Amino acid sequence: MNGAQDLSLFSMFMCGLMLLIPLAGVWYMKLGISKNLIVSTLRMVIQLILIGFFLEYIFKYNNWLINLSWFLVMIASAVLSVIKNSELKLRHFVLPVFLSFILANFFVVLYFNYFIVDISFILDAKYMIAIGGMILGNSLRSNVIGLGDFYKALRKDEQLYFYKLSLGATKYEALLHFAKKSFVAALNPTIATMATMGIVSLPGMMTGQILGGSVPLVAIKYQIAIMIAILASTVLSISLSILFTVRYSFHKTGTLKKEIFRSSNN
Amino acid sequence: MFELQRITKQFSEKFVLQDFSFKIAQGDKINIAGRSGIGKTTLFRLLLGFEQPDSGTILYENKALNDTSVWELRKKVAYVSQDLNIGRGNVQTFFDETLSLKANLAHKIHSKADIKQYFALFELSEDLLSKNIEELSGGEKQRIAIINALLLKRTIFFLDEITSALDKVLKTKVLDYFLQNPEFTVLYISHDNYLPSGVELKTLKLD
Repeated sequence: MNGAQDLSLFSMFMCGLMLLIPLAGVWYMKLGISKNLIVSTLRMVIQLILIGFFLEYIFKYNNWLINLSWFLVMIASAVLSVIKNSELKLRHFVLPVFLSFILANFFVVLYFNYFIVDISFILDAKYMIAIGGMILGNSLRSNVIGLGDFYKALRKDEQLYFYKLSLGATKYEALLHFAKKSFVAALNPTIATMATMGIVSLPGMMTGQILGGSVPLVAIKYQIAIMIAILASTVLSISLSILFTVRYSFHKTGTLKKEIFRSSNN
Repeated sequence: MFELQRITKQFSEKFVLQDFSFKIAQGDKINIAGRSGIGKTTLFRLLLGFEQPDSGTILYENKALNDTSVWELRKKVAYVSQDLNIGRGNVQTFFDETLSLKANLAHKIHSKADIKQYFALFELSEDLLSKNIEELSGGEKQRIAIINALLLKRTIFFLDEITSALDKVLKTKVLDYFLQNPEFTVLYISHDNYLPSGVELKTLKLD
């Protein structure tokens, strides 16, 4: 593999110029998000520069302990992001969701590396961090929808939950209706993406591999594998997140604890 | 059967129940009266353990209702809420879901005949079974919720304005069904002021 062509400083300057288009649009239409746009762009650039140097070293040393630790850091920041994007309190949810993410993502990544890619060093930095990152990113997105909606719906439709309890349902039986709905909501985007994949867009991973010198027929194999891995980690991580958090989120009488939410309004 | 001992329940600044005591015996038919917003529904929610009293004790069969016994109680009481958000989808599936709960599995076998019987009694067409709950009228939904409760073969009923969307004839029919049965213990909220003949009604007035 000869890799993608490097971009010169001049190239990056030209890229910066292109930023004027969205900036001009935002300013002209008075969208009031110019500041956010600039701050986010700067954050992206700085974070990526740092991570670029960091990954250079990680790939160079390729030490299992460092790889593992870095993957844990990635998981931790994904978990923080999931909870921050929901109405849930960090204090109550950070540990169970962290545990769920570790189990779901480690299982899927190690399975992927061992059985699918069949590499001898399954904690290899390239695979662990690149593949892991893709799987984790999708777990994150689907948990924001799945876990967030689960508790939001429970709070909104508490009457329905009580109704099920009054029919004699156990806590888990009564929650099943809500869990099913959040699974559907979380899986739908991935299912829709898969149905148009290759026609509407070339997925980022394939684009990267093709630019990196892989032949398309290798790239699609990885893409197929990664999509299925994403589905697996989505289902695993949402199931575990719900299962682990449900233990701490209810009173013994089966009612939802109000103190797990950040805002007290309904 | 139930005894409320000096129950106080307050939401923010407002007292819903203050130092409230009451006894409910087996076979009682009790009409819970009082202007709207006074906390009639809260009484049901306290009895079912969905709300906790700020002070006082609820006794169920002479024992204080606690974290464990409340789950047993929920298998003995059939609650029909005035809130008609009872679920979505096919009516038959809705009944099946109720009967597939572990606590209710025993009633699944004869449910087909039961459903037929209750549909005839409450003047519903069996075509409704294949319709979706969200397509039904308020009155139809109300009767589906009532039938769902009856399928469980329980003898204690908490009925919260279950006839509000029914016409006069059906109202009488539904209330008679519950109030004329000596086996049933019934607590009900209703604005109909209906007095069935030959039944001793008790009134529990909240104010």
